[in-house]
Amino acid sequence: MKIKSVKETLFSAVKTVKEVDYKKIANDFVYGKPHGERRLGDLYIGNTGLYKHREWRGIKDTMYYFNNIWLYTYATMIGDIMKYGGPVTFIKGVWRYRWLGQTYLPVLHWYDRGLEGLRGPALRATAWHYRGMASETIYQFMTMLKADVSRSGGDQKLHDRIVGHDETVWGGIFYPYMDQLDHIPLQMIPYLVTCHVNNHTVLNYIDAVQGIGLPGDPCPMCQAECGLFIADDMPDYCPIVITSNEACDGSVATSILQDWMINKPLFAMPQPMQFDDKSLVKYCMREIEEAWQFIEKEMGVKFNWEELKRNLERQNKLQRFEWEKWDVAANTNYYPVNSVGQALYRIYYSQDGDRQIWHDMDKRVRKIMNYTVENQIETFPMTRHRVIAWSCAPIYYSNWTTWAYNCWGLNVVINMDSLMFDMEIRTDSYEHALEDMAIYHEWAPMRRMVVGGLQHVFELWENMEKFHCDMVIMYDQLHCKGMQGCHGLFEDEFRARDIHAIWIPHALPDKRTVPKSEIRSVINDYMTTVMQETPLDPSLVDFDDDMSW
Amino acid sequence: MSTRRKIKMALKAAKVVGGIGLLTYVGLFIVFFFDLDGKLLYHVVEPFLVKHYDAMERKNPLESPYKDVPKGQETL
Repeated sequence: MKIKSVKETLFSAVKTVKEVDYKKIANDFVYGKPHGERRLGDLYIGNTGLYKHREWRGIKDTMYYFNNIWLYTYATMIGDIMKYGGPVTFIKGVWRYRWLGQTYLPVLHWYDRGLEGLRGPALRATAWHYRGMASETIYQFMTMLKADVSRSGGDQKLHDRIVGHDETVWGGIFYPYMDQLDHIPLQMIPYLVTCHVNNHTVLNYIDAVQGIGLPGDPCPMCQAECGLFIADDMPDYCPIVITSNEACDGSVATSILQDWMINKPLFAMPQPMQFDDKSLVKYCMREIEEAWQFIEKEMGVKFNWEELKRNLERQNKLQRFEWEKWDVAANTNYYPVNSVGQALYRIYYSQDGDRQIWHDMDKRVRKIMNYTVENQIETFPMTRHRVIAWSCAPIYYSNWTTWAYNCWGLNVVINMDSLMFDMEIRTDSYEHALEDMAIYHEWAPMRRMVVGGLQHVFELWENMEKFHCDMVIMYDQLHCKGMQGCHGLFEDEFRARDIHAIWIPHALPDKRTVPKSEIRSVINDYMTTVMQETPLDPSLVDFDDDMSW
Repeated sequence: MSTRRKIKMALKAAKVVGGIGLLTYVGLFIVFFFDLDGKLLYHVVEPFLVKHYDAMERKNPLESPYKDVPKGQETL
């Protein structure tokens, strides 16, 4: 009997070896498996989001990822740390600040999650956008650490040259003074970017502020920003602060708490929620001028029109390239940047303001985009639906769009936040520049098309047409009182216009309220029951990533 | 030392350096492909740092008086 079973096993093994398609195996090794066969979900380990092994994308793309993304990113991050302050400053900062040590060490995994499944020009172009964000992030936190006078060794001279500000105060406010000082947002690195890279960190700050009695229902963005100070986790890197009312007045209460904790000269620049009235623009222009007077008085600097003009023109150049990208994304299948790369890069640079790194990255992406357009290379060939994403996105799961393309062929070609600052700023005269700067600043992330009046909230329809989208993802931020009021209006419009729309509930930075798996479940349900489609990659339909970064 | 000997030694040194370089490159590829950097950070570094952050002594910002700004630097 034993001999029989050994014979049977051998026979079966020989049969398998004969039936194996070696040509296909070799082809998959050289070129990578085609989209429908990759089974990317099988690579995950438990609920950690870690990989049994990183994706094999064929020889060329795997070696590109290894050399030009993984190795290159580690090397350039070390280079940036050396350039902007050195390893001692960095290590001290990691030891002192949770948002730095817990978040930014696993930054390569942030790349991995956003770039899953990408090949060819899309892999290359998207990775350059990530590189820009990583470099600017390192610059900002290293500057904060070097100037941090709350610890020994902090550079007082540098400290005295930096203006701190709310992350939704546009960096352009400081353009007239960039030859004399620098500006670093208070919360962009310690809060906003951490949510994308490691969504565990921010939970400590939300809990800290709720621990002193703040109710859990205000916007968690404002909660987390305030929580940084409650948890005593902010470096002291600037002598003055400029605040705004952020996306909406929900931030006003937490700004007061931050003012208490910051305890420095502070200028508040609240912007009108609804700003189409020209007289309100004049109010905003006056606010900016008063902020400038505050900066000049406190920092001993002088307004420099040539410096302002120079920086505005550099920003306009970034905007013009953005329009070129939108043109390609809207009218062709050759746009080489994926959804998450597009969304995060755009909001980062449009809010942070002009920095050299953005121009360097745009140069590289332009080269790739010119190549894909000239050679008509379909960068996302498995696109089944062109999607526009509207309202405030879940920042703890910004790479859901990568998952959605890999699993269902949903290609989110544009999103609301990318469309926010859709303007050039005139530099022909001071009055024109100031007027345009006021409008730009009023638009603030999430403000124009979320709380800026129904005519702006409903810009969705014209953009849907402009970008040739057949589906809408409606983000449903559960704490956002502004957009909750519009839910029914959207439902009526979707019905009247016969639009496929999927509502994605989330709590902005807080993954505990709506886990990532629930977001996927909502999309899965719609795609199977309403669209009656089968997944491109069934291994991605249902998996556990509860404890992933 | 003759030129020939110098060349021989230089070639040997280049071979050693090249060999170390190749081994390092292959080693790094193994780290990359098997996500060893992620696993180290997830299972070792992050828990260690989180334990440290949780145990850190922190000042209680609620104890600071509201508005303790030096004279001449009041909020506008």
